Amino acid sequence: MKTTRFQQRDLVWGILVLLLAVLPLIPGVIGNSFRAHVLIMVLLYASMAQSWNIVSGYAGQTSFGHSVFFGIGAYGAGMAVVTYGLTPWPGFLVGALLAAVVAVLISWPCFRLSGHYFAIATFAIVEIFNRLFMVWDWVGGALGLDYPILTDGWKNFVWSQTKVGFYYGALALFILIFGIVRWIETHRLGYYLRAVREGQETAESLGVNSTAVKLAAMAFSAFLAALCGGFFVQYNYRVDPPMVMSLEMSMKFVLITILGGLGNFWGPLLGAMILIPLQEYTRAYLTVLGSGVDLIIFGLIIVLMMIKQPGGIMGIVTDFGARRRRAGARPDTGV
Amino acid sequence: MDIFAQVMIDGLLTGMLYALVAAGLSLIWGVMDVIHFAHGEFLMVAMYLSFWLGFVGGIDPVISWMASGVFLFILGALTYRLVISHCIGKSAMPPLLATFGLSLFLKNFCMNRFSPNFRILQDTLLGGKTIMLGSITIGLPQLVTGVFSVTMLFALYYLIKKTRLGWAIQATAMDREAAELMGIHTDRIYLLVFGLGGACVGIAGGLMTSYLAVHPEVGGLFGLIAFLIVALGGFGSVPGALAAALIIGMVEALAGFYIAPVFKYVAVFMLYLVVVMVRPKGLFGW
Amino acid sequence: MKTRKLLAVVGLCVFGLGLFAGSATAADKVLKIGVVFPLTGPVATAGQRCVAAVETAAEVINNAHPEFKVPLAAQEGILGGTKIQLVVADHQGKPDVGKSEAERLFNQEGVWAMIGCYNSAVTKPASAVAERMKRIFLSGCSSSAALTERNYQYFFRCAPTDKTESHEFVEYIQWLNQNQKAGIKTIGLIYENTEFGKHAADEGKAAAKAAGFEVLADVAFNPGATNLNSEVQTLKAKNPDAVFGACLGGDYTLWVRTMKQMNWLPKVTLNYCTGYQDPKIAQQLGPDGDFFMGGTGYSPEIGAKYMPDVAAVEKIYTAKVGVPFDSDSIQEAVALLVLAQAIEKAGSLDVEKVAAILRSETFDSPLSLGGKVAFGPGGQNMKATSIVTQLHGGKYMPVFPLSYAEQAATVPMTPWDKR
Repeated sequence: MKTTRFQQRDLVWGILVLLLAVLPLIPGVIGNSFRAHVLIMVLLYASMAQSWNIVSGYAGQTSFGHSVFFGIGAYGAGMAVVTYGLTPWPGFLVGALLAAVVAVLISWPCFRLSGHYFAIATFAIVEIFNRLFMVWDWVGGALGLDYPILTDGWKNFVWSQTKVGFYYGALALFILIFGIVRWIETHRLGYYLRAVREGQETAESLGVNSTAVKLAAMAFSAFLAALCGGFFVQYNYRVDPPMVMSLEMSMKFVLITILGGLGNFWGPLLGAMILIPLQEYTRAYLTVLGSGVDLIIFGLIIVLMMIKQPGGIMGIVTDFGARRRRAGARPDTGV
Repeated sequence: MDIFAQVMIDGLLTGMLYALVAAGLSLIWGVMDVIHFAHGEFLMVAMYLSFWLGFVGGIDPVISWMASGVFLFILGALTYRLVISHCIGKSAMPPLLATFGLSLFLKNFCMNRFSPNFRILQDTLLGGKTIMLGSITIGLPQLVTGVFSVTMLFALYYLIKKTRLGWAIQATAMDREAAELMGIHTDRIYLLVFGLGGACVGIAGGLMTSYLAVHPEVGGLFGLIAFLIVALGGFGSVPGALAAALIIGMVEALAGFYIAPVFKYVAVFMLYLVVVMVRPKGLFGW
Repeated sequence: MKTRKLLAVVGLCVFGLGLFAGSATAADKVLKIGVVFPLTGPVATAGQRCVAAVETAAEVINNAHPEFKVPLAAQEGILGGTKIQLVVADHQGKPDVGKSEAERLFNQEGVWAMIGCYNSAVTKPASAVAERMKRIFLSGCSSSAALTERNYQYFFRCAPTDKTESHEFVEYIQWLNQNQKAGIKTIGLIYENTEFGKHAADEGKAAAKAAGFEVLADVAFNPGATNLNSEVQTLKAKNPDAVFGACLGGDYTLWVRTMKQMNWLPKVTLNYCTGYQDPKIAQQLGPDGDFFMGGTGYSPEIGAKYMPDVAAVEKIYTAKVGVPFDSDSIQEAVALLVLAQAIEKAGSLDVEKVAAILRSETFDSPLSLGGKVAFGPGGQNMKATSIVTQLHGGKYMPVFPLSYAEQAATVPMTPWDKR
């Protein structure tokens, strides 16, 4: 169990990270361009989706509640900077830990619910948190928290002249979260998670404490999602509840993973690579055609993809690559 | 005491409206196990249709709800044929995302075509009329919608429980393959169910234009509350949807008045969490 | 036809993803100005009108219109022929989108300055981007007072703030008490619980308390409401003499109609720049909307009397959106006109020079009530005025300050059953 088998995908993964890491060294690629913004968003959303994938892909619990954890992380950093005048770093940590605690507290009772009932419960939790944060003055309420102008650099984790800093921040998140998921995949927790997903009763009968396994996955997942939230607020200089704790944000976690391929290591990255540029470029360049044209097309593409390939892009890839050989982790959640 | 009664009645009337919106969703969900994310947008489409019929054709919502119902039946059936039937299967996620995409499409398409302006029908037959019961005011449009809602739900219940078609729907809901073996065209049943679900929300939307402004974002909160009602009542249960809708309407009104208006939905969502903790399958679920 | 066009576009954008970047090539005699507003989402109506207003101003500046008595209208363009080219973007009402669109416009599209963003919540991060890059950012109508309390050097706002309006409301109520024996002692607030509503309500509350009024009801609601029964019921139970409202669009009509249904009205209702001042809503509410009051910076009635040069320009705007200017959108036109004047005065496109002129000079602005624009510390337009109007038969009649008033306001409001 202890020895991680070195697989082909680890090689691919290593090369990809290396490529991404040297990218800013090529002049003109990152700089302060819109392309850099899109790249950062791809890395960020891929990381977010991967954190969601732990619970929903590997453990089979469809959560629409991840924007709550994302939001708690965002508020952690936001309050450290705006309310207490500190650097965001302690905020990242406190926010992420708090998110993990909240995740465990709210998931514990909710895991008793099955399928859709669980999904709707997480829905409800997002709405409750959103509305409570909207009236909670200590966290800024509906007014939100606005960043003062800070000096650029790693200490404050803001950059205004170039995006290279943010890029490396997002890359670090990406490496951390994908690395953790890779590690989980090959370790005991990963097997337990998949066992629970495939059949909770069977898994329990083999001595897996399914509740503990699912809670652990939820805590991990929330912790990582909260780190992404912290990054998000640093990047946008502002946080308010609709920005971070909304069903729309939750849908992004879900959408990216499923479009990419649920329960698959590469799924979130593929989903983000397609969806985020699509969203950003259509909005940037199609608004001229009339209001909402970008979203009309965005919606249509989602519909078309789901009709043509319900297994997501990973489904296309597996179909394309090896028709016979079915990948081990297939999406099959009973939600 | 008067205020309490007034608040309760407002809540009940709101609940009845919610029930009509949620009934279609409950049916779709219960029979097909599909989370229909575009339900709120179907409502919006129905409202636009009713608005334009009233605005251009001078047809009052009291009559044009029929047109909305028929149109939304067709829209629902089309949605099933073109979208849902291609991605329905083992996992619930593809249809969920497909309908999510559809909701984005419908919302922005209507905004693009009809502009984001808020539109109100003026001088409708029911608009602004009230009935006084002692010191309690009841809005006539809300009352009519409420009566409609209860009638519709009874009709729906009768259809499912007492007719051959209803039995076929039930059989399909329980086990699609077995129903298929019994000679039921389950694909047609699904088509019909999606159409019926659309028709319910179409009628609701048609009537609502008497007292609500139409705009592209109008469906959002209704859709969300409909989800909650369906889950609270138990998937596929029409009486469950009615009971849940009435409870949610009243909780909303009571919390809104006696706690604070900002907390009214917090209370509603909390209620759901509490109920499913006690009854994990909803009030009428099994 | 539409679908085929759509399909073509779908194919195009899937195919050409990533090829878009860096496509802008600037012709030499063009000055690009970024325009970011909510073109989709809950406040898209307002956003689209704001864009139309900026476009109107650009047309006035770019083409020779000697018939308009507006600065820069007679000549073609600025700086001896440079035309203004607008680059429009949609922020969907989301601060994160607004921020990234601001960056894209500056870095990718190469805009020289920006105008936006309607929602104060979006204007904050978007103008922070501009400030860090030392670029000029003008806001027409974002109303949060906090925007101009940040001591930014490159940020300017044309409209009066919630704070100014709140003080004016309170002043007016005091005047009513003195002169019309209105007997208003208590105040209620109803507002959407968003950045905008909360901010307006906080200012309103502070101003009312400072003047010694008792704030009886503080009713926040979630925007996009399905009903406002408990909200109005709460107001009715507390029965304040005056109500300050900050409800947008659909919520405003719902609020008015629910009050009618519950057969309740306060003596006075004063609204922040909201659903009240949308001429389309006023028209659709018909007689139900009458006797409500609110802060207004422009309406065709006021314009006809005090801003005679607007009407000609307004034709261009009305042709685009089908309604006359409202207090919000007209400020966006003012923003571009003032910016163009500052550039013309500076004689160059040197940001520092233009910003210095914006900070120090007073500009003629026939599209502003009062006719002048001058930015004070933090970038607030010190000459911004708004007057209290009351709706009479769908027309916005000025009632306060007295120098503008033509008729005494109907106070208390005529009850529903007597209309």
